Amino acid sequence: MPTDDATTLFYEIVWPLRADVVRFAQFLCKDAVTAEDIAQETLLKAFRALGRAHDRTGNQKAWLFAILRNAWRDRLRKRQSEVRFEDLADEPSAAEIGTEAVEYWNDPQALLNGFSDRQMIDALQALPDEIRWTLLLVDVEGVGLQEAAEILDVPLGTIKSRAHRGRSMLRQALLPLVRKMRRLDEPSPVAGFVQPEEL
Amino acid sequence: MSQNFSERNETLLDQAVAARLAKLRSLPTDTARIDRLIREQIPAPVAQQRRYLTQHPFQAVAASLLLLSSIVAVVLLAVSSGPVLAEPLQMAKVHEDIVAGRVPVMQVNSIDAANRMLNTESPDSPKLPNVPDSHVMACCMKSVQNKQMACVLLKNDGVPITLAVAHAADMKLGPAPIVTKDGVDYRVQAVGDLNMVMTTHDGKWLCLIGKLPSDRLMDVASQVRF
Repeated sequence: MPTDDATTLFYEIVWPLRADVVRFAQFLCKDAVTAEDIAQETLLKAFRALGRAHDRTGNQKAWLFAILRNAWRDRLRKRQSEVRFEDLADEPSAAEIGTEAVEYWNDPQALLNGFSDRQMIDALQALPDEIRWTLLLVDVEGVGLQEAAEILDVPLGTIKSRAHRGRSMLRQALLPLVRKMRRLDEPSPVAGFVQPEEL
Repeated sequence: MSQNFSERNETLLDQAVAARLAKLRSLPTDTARIDRLIREQIPAPVAQQRRYLTQHPFQAVAASLLLLSSIVAVVLLAVSSGPVLAEPLQMAKVHEDIVAGRVPVMQVNSIDAANRMLNTESPDSPKLPNVPDSHVMACCMKSVQNKQMACVLLKNDGVPITLAVAHAADMKLGPAPIVTKDGVDYRVQAVGDLNMVMTTHDGKWLCLIGKLPSDRLMDVASQVRF
């Protein structure tokens, strides 16, 4: 049973990080209602956990994301009687995803900055769950690789390969937009003027 | 050799993606709803307040009456006062607070969604206009001396711009250099590296703020459609 101390701790430790929890849930879930439910459940679970012994020296944000992970899994379990987490072994490796059109990706930073935040979030949300979790933790939230491995309960090497694979999949997902942008950049031939063939 | 090149290329691409994703961390997040839901279930510690109320009931009643009369006075003042002046410093702070996520905002991706959200929060809020070619990110309500202002955070060419809209009858255009562009008068001001342009349009007061040349801000202002 949480005590007054737990309430004080909650407003000291968890409350300042609530925006991180809400944002993470919003990026994780396509559905805004589900995201809000998961964020709320995470904060309430954190409050209940504070009633027990709590390590105040650790990374509190990583601790909250671990709770969010459990809340998300609980929700999946409720939705389907038997949860089948994605079997990533069946997924193609980064090398197998397809040869990315490298010529489209010169000056990648400028290109990526040209995408709106919404486009980036949509591309993230189209990724498989475990890959999305990895990129959200490691790249978006800046959680350390080791901490991300602990949250997702996988070896460190798996996190590294998932992060690499995820970034490659994200680029792949953005490629149609990149092609579109590149086409817009190219000067269009003037009507009625036949461009000379290159010799 | 070509394998080395390809690995280096992959690393650069990975770093670019990671850097772009990290920027999502600074997106403003609206926590107003979740705050309300959580506070309902976990009330903030009030032990001291409770003790005070039981030990000093008369003082508590007197304090409540004083608070009530202050609220009434503020409401009366707001209703009776005329148009107010939005100081450039105030407006710059509004913009900086929204961009830095220091104030609760609602994430939206269209002006229609922003208007719906703001109307739910505050039915009398001024309607936001459409701004073609700008990406809509977030919205919130602010007030200047109790006059409501609907604010929307836009991104134009990757630069965040705050568009604040109020009823023209509520806001004064302050003393500032006037620049006329396409027949419209704009008051042009700057605070640090932030530029802002103010004008009236269709019975509305508009203010655009951002780290863009004032010329560009005027271009954006000229695109607004109510």
